[in-house]
Amino acid sequence: MAAGETIGGCVLEKAAEVEKEYGSLQAFKSGPEDAIEDFEDDLEGCVEAPSPILPEIDEIIWGSAAFAILFAFMAWKGFPAVRRAMDARSEKIQADLDAADAAKADAMSTKSQYEEQLAEAKTAAAAIIDEARMQADQLRTDLQARAEADIAEQRARATADIESSRHQAIDDLRGDVASIAVGAAERVVGASLDAEVHRSLIDSYIEEVAGSRDNG
Amino acid sequence: MSIFALELPPVSHLFDWPTIWLDGTYFAINKTVLVYLAAMVVTIVIFGLAGRPRESLVPAGVQHVAESGVNFIESSVVMQTIGPEGRKFMPFLTTIFFFILFSNITGIIPIVQFPANSRMAMPVALSLLVWVVYNVVGVKSQGGLGYLKSSLFPPGVPKFLYVIVTPIELVSTFVVRPFSLAIRLWANMVAGHLLLATFAILSATLWDFFYVPAALPFLMLLFLTVFEILVAFLQAFIFTVLTAVYIGGSMHADH
Repeated sequence: MAAGETIGGCVLEKAAEVEKEYGSLQAFKSGPEDAIEDFEDDLEGCVEAPSPILPEIDEIIWGSAAFAILFAFMAWKGFPAVRRAMDARSEKIQADLDAADAAKADAMSTKSQYEEQLAEAKTAAAAIIDEARMQADQLRTDLQARAEADIAEQRARATADIESSRHQAIDDLRGDVASIAVGAAERVVGASLDAEVHRSLIDSYIEEVAGSRDNG
Repeated sequence: MSIFALELPPVSHLFDWPTIWLDGTYFAINKTVLVYLAAMVVTIVIFGLAGRPRESLVPAGVQHVAESGVNFIESSVVMQTIGPEGRKFMPFLTTIFFFILFSNITGIIPIVQFPANSRMAMPVALSLLVWVVYNVVGVKSQGGLGYLKSSLFPPGVPKFLYVIVTPIELVSTFVVRPFSLAIRLWANMVAGHLLLATFAILSATLWDFFYVPAALPFLMLLFLTVFEILVAFLQAFIFTVLTAVYIGGSMHADH
């Protein structure tokens, strides 16, 4: 008996076979004893099934053939193809990782270069600024000195001009005063004095007067 | 077979299937044979499709299944038991793993609902194949006498203990291993199939009379169905890892 069959169905099937062969079960009962014993064995077979622990030859043959075919396929193509695909993917991922590492190293190198250049630029800018500041200070000092010198020169020139003008004015005044004084004296005394004597008298007088003013 | 009014078929009837074709020959085809052939075809299809060149970096679908299986067997089986030199056995171990897995998993697939390895045929055949493989590997790696010496006289054992150890190792290495491999796989799948059948019959019988109590065995049936997925995977893994252990032990004298 096999799975999917019921015991009753199996018995009915065996009985139908006997009935078909002998016409009826009654006729079979009076039949040969060997046939009855075979029928009993068949009915026991409906209850008993082959031992599940004993392997069936046909199942071993088909199962082994299936396994052999599968192993041949796996050894020939299945496993190597999958392995190649896995290896190719691993290599691609590794290559991508290496490329990424290289790109990262390049970027780091570029960054350090930029930072170096930036530091140099900052240093240069600081130097330029210092130099400009020094130049500005120097220029300011120079301009200040030059301005002071100009002022001093202009002041000296102005002083000289003033002094010259003063002397000129004094000389002019002296001449005028002398003429006026001579004229006035001539009129007062009615006498004509020598012009040279008068002039020397007046000069000495004026110098006396000027000296007394300077001292005063 | 009637137990507490439950009509249970004889245990053997759950595992013996009628012949579909070529009845009475050595090439008779039944449900068990069809499951073996299906396991072969499914594995071939998965690895055939997974091996095609693809642009995508992320594996998906059957490619993911195949590569996960290969990765799992390499990292969890081969590297743990044999080492890097065991990579040459990867096709063999991968074949064993997927063939057993797909022969087991049919126990919970609707309509099929029969684990082919609950029949003794392939557990025995695969165990004998493994026995041949690890003995051949042992002889090739260590030489005939060296393999026998390392197998029967394990190093580090006091010499007077060889009187006890050597017969044990002889029986263990050359007799018990294939039997234990075959019976472990077969018995686990038989037990799982029996449990599923029992709770399925119980649920169906109770459903005819009491709707509410039928829910309990049905819930148990659902739990066992999920559990059988784990068992199917676990038994495939155990068979594969023990195969790798035996091969690794044969390759190295110090094992």
